[in-house]
Amino acid sequence: MKGAELVLKVLQQQGVDTIFGYPGGAIMPIYDAIYHSTVKHYLCRHEQGGAFSAIGYARASGKVGVCLATSGPGATNLITSLADALLDSVPLVAITGQVSQAVMGTDAFQEVDVLGLSLGVTKHSFMVRDVNELAHTLQEAFRLAQSGRPGPVLVDIPKDIQLAEVSEPEWPTLPAARLATSLANAAKARQLIAQAKKPIAYIGGGVQMADALPQLQAFLAESEMPSVTTLKGMGSVARANPHYLGMLGMHGTQAANLAVQQCDLLICLGARFDDRVTGKLDKFAPHAKVIHVDIDPAEINKVRFADCALLGDMKQILPAISTATQCADWLTHCQQLKQQYGWRYDHPGERIFAPLMLKQLSERMPDNSVVCCDVGQHQMWVAQHMRFNSPRNHLSSGGLGTMGFGLPAAIGAKLARPQDTVIAVSGDGSFMMNVQELGTIKRFRLPVKIVIIDNQRLGMVKQWQQLFFNERYSETDLSDNPDFVALAAAFAIPGHTITRKDEVASALEAMFSWPGPYLLHVRIDEKDNVWPLVPPGAANEDMLTETN
Amino acid sequence: MQHTLNITTRNEASVVERLLQVTRYRGYQLAGLAMTPLTDRAGLQITLTVQSEKPITLLTSQLVKLYDVQQLELASADVAVLRA
Repeated sequence: MKGAELVLKVLQQQGVDTIFGYPGGAIMPIYDAIYHSTVKHYLCRHEQGGAFSAIGYARASGKVGVCLATSGPGATNLITSLADALLDSVPLVAITGQVSQAVMGTDAFQEVDVLGLSLGVTKHSFMVRDVNELAHTLQEAFRLAQSGRPGPVLVDIPKDIQLAEVSEPEWPTLPAARLATSLANAAKARQLIAQAKKPIAYIGGGVQMADALPQLQAFLAESEMPSVTTLKGMGSVARANPHYLGMLGMHGTQAANLAVQQCDLLICLGARFDDRVTGKLDKFAPHAKVIHVDIDPAEINKVRFADCALLGDMKQILPAISTATQCADWLTHCQQLKQQYGWRYDHPGERIFAPLMLKQLSERMPDNSVVCCDVGQHQMWVAQHMRFNSPRNHLSSGGLGTMGFGLPAAIGAKLARPQDTVIAVSGDGSFMMNVQELGTIKRFRLPVKIVIIDNQRLGMVKQWQQLFFNERYSETDLSDNPDFVALAAAFAIPGHTITRKDEVASALEAMFSWPGPYLLHVRIDEKDNVWPLVPPGAANEDMLTETN
Repeated sequence: MQHTLNITTRNEASVVERLLQVTRYRGYQLAGLAMTPLTDRAGLQITLTVQSEKPITLLTSQLVKLYDVQQLELASADVAVLRA
């Protein structure tokens, strides 16, 4: 067989049945092999869209996402998506075609050093130089993408390798990566928890990625302490848990931020003290000792000193550090914060108030729906006002903050979980960043629901210009947006525009009752901002609110 | 403060670029670099000297994660084998 056929064989051997990509000259032999393969290829309309679909597929399913691109511009178009997968620890294998080895290094047509370009945005990248190493390299790429802290791996395959004859190798089972877990500090952690008067659990995406949500619920039940989550950790805490305070950080709830600032023990579970979480670092949780549990040793003491660190498998560690606490007064205090600073939806006027609309969407959407966000104000409103029962149901570009993520990620999520409702919530700026993927939705008749929250602005940038740049609104006006409903109609996707609060309920009903893809265009007031907000350089207790 | 790292890696074409990319990105200044193929040519022995006021563990913890790095030792008064 040819190397290209072997690529498909390895994908099948790895259990891959869904891939995303875009063909081109240097990857044509692999696309020729796809023609006869049972692996289903989804043609996207841009390589970045294809890779984001693979990321959405991976994040919604827990499987490895796979995307393909040709050399040169196809490969460079992957770079943003690889960076997104790296910063959000998403298992992704990207396969790129490369010009033949005979012309590599000669500035050949569509030749670019993608391996060099990928160094800073992948967990690892391989260049296959010998067809006899092709199968092993691909297997290694899958193993690496999933092992330890997951991430993107790129495999660059020159065209001559794809065309070279190779015999089907025996399929040695690669040993699963050993995950060393040390419980040496478990007793110390239990002691810190038992002695704490004001403990709080700070939960990131790593808990769900370790498949440790049941262990987390048990830990929170036994220790009975308040909890907060990061953007990626949302959905980790069971809805029934009364002590959950919401998201912390720049646009977190006031209760979450104030409780973290006041706590005496911060138990960081699968999170990394991101600057959007901590605000001014030296004022973050200033009274707290820190227990840090993670799979990645490089995260320990990277940003915040850990008084007690536990490395390895969260599933083993959480039961080992679980212990009862004596903090009834603290729980009462946190409940008071939660009540005092609860969300308010009594917005004056007839215009649609995005937080209320998203709350209505959250209440109306079927259970286990997947919501894929873009980046900006709407992303923070989704995090604040929608509830999720798993991080796999809330796909948001956290670390990289990539506009254009939502629509293609929704495509991948829908293909990963066809029985579940998938909703792409986007802004008018973000939506235009990968709008071409409407073509993918049309081609595969994917019943993705699209909600565009349109303030005719790059809203988050505009908000910062208003607050911190003396209202100099430089290049954030999008009042010449296209007619989004007409745009959807060009892709045979029905849609509807709403502008008033009293239209929301019936519009959501119409969207969910329509069997196919649907676009709901929601016009909001450009003056609406995201509150609360921790200003840049401020401590998390110094939140700005609408009334400041 | 200056630190010298003795690193054993696979003999892959991109390995030095990777080490230097991580070193630069994490904010450590390169102060010296030497590379020798091991006798079987399957690996490389790389000596990397860097300068920074940051704790060196913030760099070594990132370098040992690299796929091609097989062993990393800090050549100082307290030599620590970070990956066996």
